[in-house]
Amino acid sequence: MGVDRYSGLPFVARFRWNVGKTMEKFYRSFAEKKILAARCEKCGYTVVPPRQICPKCYSTISEENLVELSGKGVVESLTEVAFKLDGKGGYIWLEKPELLAAIRLEGASSTIFARVEGEAKVGSEVEPVWAEKIEGKPSDLISFKVVE
Amino acid sequence: MRRVAIIGCGQSKHGRRTDVNQAELVAEAVWAAIEDANIGPEDIEAYAVGNMQGFGGICQPDLVFADYIAAGGKAMQRVATGGTVGGSTAHLGYYEVASGMYDVVLAVSWEKHTDSAEPGATTGLLHVAFANLSYMMKIGMDMRSFAIMGLAGAAAGISAYQAAFYMARSGCRIEHFDMVAAKARRNAAKNKYAHLKWPNCTPEDIAKTEMLIWPMRFGHVCPASDGASCVIYANEDAVRRLGVKEVAWVKGVAAYADEEADQGESYQGTAVVDYSDQTGAILSAKKAYERAGIKDPRKEIDMAEIYAPFPHQELMFSERLGFFDDGTAWKAVEEGVTEIDGDFPICPSGGVNTTNAIGSSGMQRVVEAALQIMGKAEDHQVPKDVRNAVAHAWGGQVQFNTVMVLGDRPKGW
Repeated sequence: MGVDRYSGLPFVARFRWNVGKTMEKFYRSFAEKKILAARCEKCGYTVVPPRQICPKCYSTISEENLVELSGKGVVESLTEVAFKLDGKGGYIWLEKPELLAAIRLEGASSTIFARVEGEAKVGSEVEPVWAEKIEGKPSDLISFKVVE
Repeated sequence: MRRVAIIGCGQSKHGRRTDVNQAELVAEAVWAAIEDANIGPEDIEAYAVGNMQGFGGICQPDLVFADYIAAGGKAMQRVATGGTVGGSTAHLGYYEVASGMYDVVLAVSWEKHTDSAEPGATTGLLHVAFANLSYMMKIGMDMRSFAIMGLAGAAAGISAYQAAFYMARSGCRIEHFDMVAAKARRNAAKNKYAHLKWPNCTPEDIAKTEMLIWPMRFGHVCPASDGASCVIYANEDAVRRLGVKEVAWVKGVAAYADEEADQGESYQGTAVVDYSDQTGAILSAKKAYERAGIKDPRKEIDMAEIYAPFPHQELMFSERLGFFDDGTAWKAVEEGVTEIDGDFPICPSGGVNTTNAIGSSGMQRVVEAALQIMGKAEDHQVPKDVRNAVAHAWGGQVQFNTVMVLGDRPKGW
């Protein structure tokens, strides 16, 4: 017999991760529909989401070296997903498969992964889809869509 | 076995570090150590990394920060042994160089407690403890009584029993715990990396704080800190090749467990009745001293950094590590022997009692002992000449111990 849940314990236990100053800025600027990247002063590598240390040459990247990207990007690789989780341990089959893509944003050296709307294929140009109400949170950036 | 030296030390600032994420916190200590050794990341061949898994709510955090610390394309191995993890990670780095496998190895360990939504380290402790111990449900122990019985007090709950055992065994009083805690806070005030600083703190100040779990007052309890500590090891040839001037030599290490798990497997009890026995610490010290060629620890060792989140543990472990006779450390404290300018300084950094980022704490003892030998401990440098120093860590399910003996010269010189 399995046990789902214990009630009446004298405490709760939740995590609340700090993302650090740089990532905080990245999410906050979603409120202005901006996507920030960190450009290494030394080697020029531009990483998105931004970070404090260059993943290529390990130089420290200061806040002055945060750059705003246009938001447009190109699909480098993609996959089709046929079902999603229902939150109760089961699956829901999707009527239409969804596309998940590795996208290289204009001006960036690295790629990000995101859902893509439209008939995307490798090489397609995409642009961000923002939520109706934006608050400077990760949920602001819903997906990307193929540029018509 | 080859001769191994610590050639660089690094620490992040410890405390509430909501300004950084885990990767950035670890990087802070790593790059400080690389700069301290005056080498480049290309000189490092392998990385030993460690933290108390799950406390910061990230499983296998080492997987995400390799390129923050220049570990991409290098050998990397993670250690997790609970509270001892900083000590164990320090030992792993040493093994890798001593064995001849690598010439230059970096060892770093850390903890980030503020990623817990509840005060202190509660979330991490509960997640790990419940995940590890929920097998008790199989033998009919219900989770609620289990929580109240053992884990509501977490490490402090376990340590309260230990403190009571130690008092009965040694004849020391709560006032002696006040003295040790006040010393820790005074020393921490001189250490720029420490968390709980209290300049001129007196035992009377500590005595005014609330009694939490007898015999422990609020002023006896360590904080839950965020922080990372790092050392870089090199063998004799690499020390010469890299032109490193200031080093601390590793003379001997040992790590032992005993069967002193707090409640024993499934609460059936253990063969150990007195939690202040700490046989693992005695065995670790004996073996480490033998390997280091130390015959009389009290005479040949000049200072120690002991892993003591609670003040009775500084007294207890200083006896188990051979610096004082069983049950007499409190007398030495009364005489001021363990003060920063005393005859045998213990935890001049302020120790774990004032700064406890669990994963970092064991490594920090090694860092602090090395700094004392190199004469680089700045405001908390002990005035006496430090030729041999001991770094100790305690953890596991309260039954693991690690001991490292460091010296200004390699063994046998």
